[in-house]
Amino acid sequence: MSIAVTEKNGISRAGAYQRRTAAPPVDVFENADELLIVADVPGVPNDGIDLRVENGTLTLTARHADGKEEFPALVREYDEVDFRATFRIPAGVDTSAIAAETKNGTLIVHLPKAAALKARKIVVRSND
Amino acid sequence: MLTGWREFDETLRTLGMLQRHFRPLATWPPTNVLETKTSFVVRSEVPGLAEADVSVSVEDDVLVIRGERKVAVPEGYKAHLRERQAYAFTRKLPLPARVEADAVAATLKDGVLTVTLPKAKEALPRQVAIKAG
Repeated sequence: MSIAVTEKNGISRAGAYQRRTAAPPVDVFENADELLIVADVPGVPNDGIDLRVENGTLTLTARHADGKEEFPALVREYDEVDFRATFRIPAGVDTSAIAAETKNGTLIVHLPKAAALKARKIVVRSND
Repeated sequence: MLTGWREFDETLRTLGMLQRHFRPLATWPPTNVLETKTSFVVRSEVPGLAEADVSVSVEDDVLVIRGERKVAVPEGYKAHLRERQAYAFTRKLPLPARVEADAVAATLKDGVLTVTLPKAKEALPRQVAIKAG
């Protein structure tokens, strides 16, 4: 089971200051019970994360709090960006049980596998 | 296994990541330095790092930020996609004016490290009173 990553870059209009939208770097892991998505979204507070499931698609939007980025800078190696990513949820995920948490600027999404898809031993009865 | 899932948008996504995420190791973490009237503010994006993973010190008007980000596959999982990079870093930022080393403050919130360095009093702009002569 795996997960497809689709994304479109765009412009996000956050109040008077327009922040660019970019795709966050993402890790995808899997074990017997769930798929795990970990995304780097530095600078975004927990309430700036919007995660929704619709028609088999998981959409992540992560926005910084409104506010003007200060200029001028002596050194500018990065622009503050808002993040956006979409994932096609594979069949077999229990979408009602998807859960997520934020930790130190990363977002961790748990996509539990539906019980029917977990590896299962089938008892073979003898009909002798 | 993942190649069958790629769509055309993947090209645009990768280009965006090249711009922003795939940088030479020596330039991690991405850092901005801003100057206000009274202080310097150094801001670095260090997603995934907690206070224990990073150290900040001022040595002779050079700000030294050291840290390490580990990115490991969680125990018992297999990886399908790994885009987040692990890195260890020591960034030295010489500051153009003298700073009050005792008043330097650093905070780490949501994966962003912010170091505020108040300028030393001698370095602050001063008004000179003009006396009629």
